[in-house]
Amino acid sequence: MALAAARSGLRSLGARAAPARRRMSSSVHDDAYETAKWEKITYAGIVTCTLLAAYNLSKGHPHFDEPPAYPYLHIRNKEFPWGPDGLFEIKDHH
Amino acid sequence: MGVKGGLHTTGTKWFMIESQRHSYHLVDPRPWPISGSLGALATTVGGVMYMHSFQGGATLLSLGLIFLLYTMFVWWRDVLRESTLEGHHTKAVQLGPRYGSILFIVSEVMFLFAFFWASSHSSLAPMVEIGGIWPPKGIGVLDPWEIPLLNTPILPSSGAAVTWAHHAILAGKEKRAVYALVATVSLALVSTGFQGMEYYQAPSTISDSIYGSTFFLATGFHGFHVIIGTLFLIVCGIRQYLGHLTKKHHVGFEAAAWYWHFVDVVRLFPFVSIYWWGCI
Repeated sequence: MALAAARSGLRSLGARAAPARRRMSSSVHDDAYETAKWEKITYAGIVTCTLLAAYNLSKGHPHFDEPPAYPYLHIRNKEFPWGPDGLFEIKDHH
Repeated sequence: MGVKGGLHTTGTKWFMIESQRHSYHLVDPRPWPISGSLGALATTVGGVMYMHSFQGGATLLSLGLIFLLYTMFVWWRDVLRESTLEGHHTKAVQLGPRYGSILFIVSEVMFLFAFFWASSHSSLAPMVEIGGIWPPKGIGVLDPWEIPLLNTPILPSSGAAVTWAHHAILAGKEKRAVYALVATVSLALVSTGFQGMEYYQAPSTISDSIYGSTFFLATGFHGFHVIIGTLFLIVCGIRQYLGHLTKKHHVGFEAAAWYWHFVDVVRLFPFVSIYWWGCI
């Protein structure tokens, strides 16, 4: 009985002494701070990607020569179910 | 005595029953599991028939896909009604979708790991049949420092935007959260656009040796996951706009954010191991 009372007393003392881990007001403040921080990080990412895109796309794209007809290239054992063309483009073989 | 939802009535008087002494949601019977199974069966059988040019294959495949998409729509619509409007998703109930989402993402990691394994298996010791070199003789590869490099920071930037959205939801800034989700989805769409452009310009196809098979399977499935994640985030954006998500209850958004971080982190692996190392 005395032990239980002591335990209960200690528990309530501990509960009173321990600071609230994340109170509502400070939590909202932290989230507002984090919101502003991640908004800035997002803008920095968008600016970086835009600059990289402008640089990369201004270079143009490379053209490749047709390789020799090695047996492991253009392996096609049967027609596509939708016919000889690609699904999104007309092939130049006919 | 009539029963309607959680309320019982005797004559004109209504009173709450006190039979539910637990915090779990006992779901009403729905036809969606069996309709989803039938849709999946029609899709796979129709798909095989279509690929082998059987008559009616395309029709069965289309019907199966329509059935499957319809089931997904109505099933998830019901879950949203149960959680958002009927309040059945208690803290205990929310644990289910949380564990489910985590296990689903773990299974997705294993799924994509298999494709990177296949690529590494084929490229680390190239067979004599493809010239004993990687990339195989005659295969033209994309310059990793052009579109692949450009596409790599777009997804982590989108990941930053979804983190912005998460903090905005927690801070109760509803409009900022919608803007952040619009930014997330826009970056995702730009990434998919560049992936399409890269495929269009690619000198090889999926039928060009083991290089084409592993390259397009790994990058294509990653791109497919980007599209799924984008749809998931669009749904979250609409729900945030409609006021479904609160500071304390936004499990659907959290699942979408976890999935999106998985997709943006996984992008680094194909860039390093397939685009960059694969062209050295």
